[in-house]
Amino acid sequence: MSTLVEILAPDFLLRNALVGSVLVGVVCPLVGVYFVLRRMIFLGVALPQLSAAGVAFAFLMSSLAQVHRHGETAERVLAMCGSLGFAFVGLVVLAALERQGRETVEARIGVTYALAAAASILFVAADPYGEAEMTHLLKGDIVTTTTASLDVLMAVFGTVAVALFAFRKELLLVSFDRDMAVVLGKRAALWDTLLYLLIGVTISFGVMTAGPLVTFGFLVAPPLTARLVTRHMLTFSIVAALLGGVTAFVGFTVSYRWDLPLGPTDVALAVAVLLVVAGWQGLARVVGARRHRGS
Amino acid sequence: MNAVVRLEDVSFGYGAQPVLRHVSFTVERGEFAALLGPNGAGKTTLFRGMLGLIPRLAGRIEYGFDRRVTPPGYVPQKESLDPIFPLTAYEVVLMGATARIPPLWPVGRRPRRLAADCLARVGLAEAAEQPFWSLSGGQKQRVLIARALAVEPELLLLDEPTAGVDPGAEAAVIEVIKRLNREQGLTVIIVSHSLPLVREVVGSVIWIERGSAVKGPTAEMLSAERLANAFGIATGVE
Repeated sequence: MSTLVEILAPDFLLRNALVGSVLVGVVCPLVGVYFVLRRMIFLGVALPQLSAAGVAFAFLMSSLAQVHRHGETAERVLAMCGSLGFAFVGLVVLAALERQGRETVEARIGVTYALAAAASILFVAADPYGEAEMTHLLKGDIVTTTTASLDVLMAVFGTVAVALFAFRKELLLVSFDRDMAVVLGKRAALWDTLLYLLIGVTISFGVMTAGPLVTFGFLVAPPLTARLVTRHMLTFSIVAALLGGVTAFVGFTVSYRWDLPLGPTDVALAVAVLLVVAGWQGLARVVGARRHRGS
Repeated sequence: MNAVVRLEDVSFGYGAQPVLRHVSFTVERGEFAALLGPNGAGKTTLFRGMLGLIPRLAGRIEYGFDRRVTPPGYVPQKESLDPIFPLTAYEVVLMGATARIPPLWPVGRRPRRLAADCLARVGLAEAAEQPFWSLSGGQKQRVLIARALAVEPELLLLDEPTAGVDPGAEAAVIEVIKRLNREQGLTVIIVSHSLPLVREVVGSVIWIERGSAVKGPTAEMLSAERLANAFGIATGVE
């Protein structure tokens, strides 16, 4: 209880980290809903890793060009450009290849993940100015979140959430029945691009704030849990975001109280909630079937 | 013009490779037509081409209505839709009813009433709040017909609406389509493999074979000789 009081105090030292963590927990599932519905979950593994490779690549290019990065803001902007660029290009290329459907989706995503993970390490190793700070940024060291970077995160994630809500009718139609959308005169490619852009931005900022592991965890686990307990699209999104937010807050509290690493704690909690809900539903089904047979 | 859709010397295909060439026919207002032909003849290509889902390589298509104002009602095969989406029957139909509402505009009462009305027209008013994926095959197909009706179309195109449904459900689906055509004068084009069904309810047949298409009255188009050549059957019964 005292931990909770300490965390909720206005002058809490890690307040920025707490708010950033909850923001990632709320917004990643909102985007993750479309990962689940479009059966793109594996992309959720590859894209954060690709985004991390983009951060490393941007720093490497900056070092090779001997451009000095003065201050944290310049580093963040550089990281954002690399992260966003790699995530968006990767998403568009993978989505385009999926339409052609020459190889299996899993094969393409698996190769992308392996390449991105290897490239991240190689880019860092090749960077003559490889700094610990860059490694932190790659891993997503949420504890170092500053007020300025939190403000940017709030503005960006706020925009993503508003866009997802405002265009939910179009994004749903294009995701559910693309042919119908085209017949109705909707520009399906345009809506796909908007969705990919929102996904790319969310993943980039998620990775820079909390790292690839937490971003992937929140993209997938809360929406999968929410899908088990909801029957409407709007409640699906809202429950996924609430689950993500609550998990992030509880994860932060647990991590702070017992001095555990935040990222793995968040992911373990999110998956535990998923397992409990899935187990409960399975049990309910078995009991229901037995009762049905008994009557 | 009294034609709802007119194709003049049209070629459809994938990439630069035409699958159908020099296709010309007219579907008049109020007609009930079927796209028929052997497997692989190009039924799906013609169907998707008429909907604008694949590019036209040559020729002209004229619609007797403004496609931007009243798009055609499109009924896909139910299997083409993923059951993972948490949608009720009503929400699926609402997608059609809100089709003409621009982005960022709120969904008002009219589309909601229209969606409910269209569900009632296909006899599924009571299933409105049921999850779409939990419905039977025939019910799903009727929900998709209701969604197409919610667009308020002048032309209804259905892709094998009775595929994979039991005989009772097939009769219910066909009854709905017949009623829409006869009582409300809706022009219907249907892709079907069922010759008995086509014989019973369809007025004209667009026969697709060897990369082209011809249209004529059902009895004439389903001659014993043509069916024997196409399907290797003498009676014309499936």
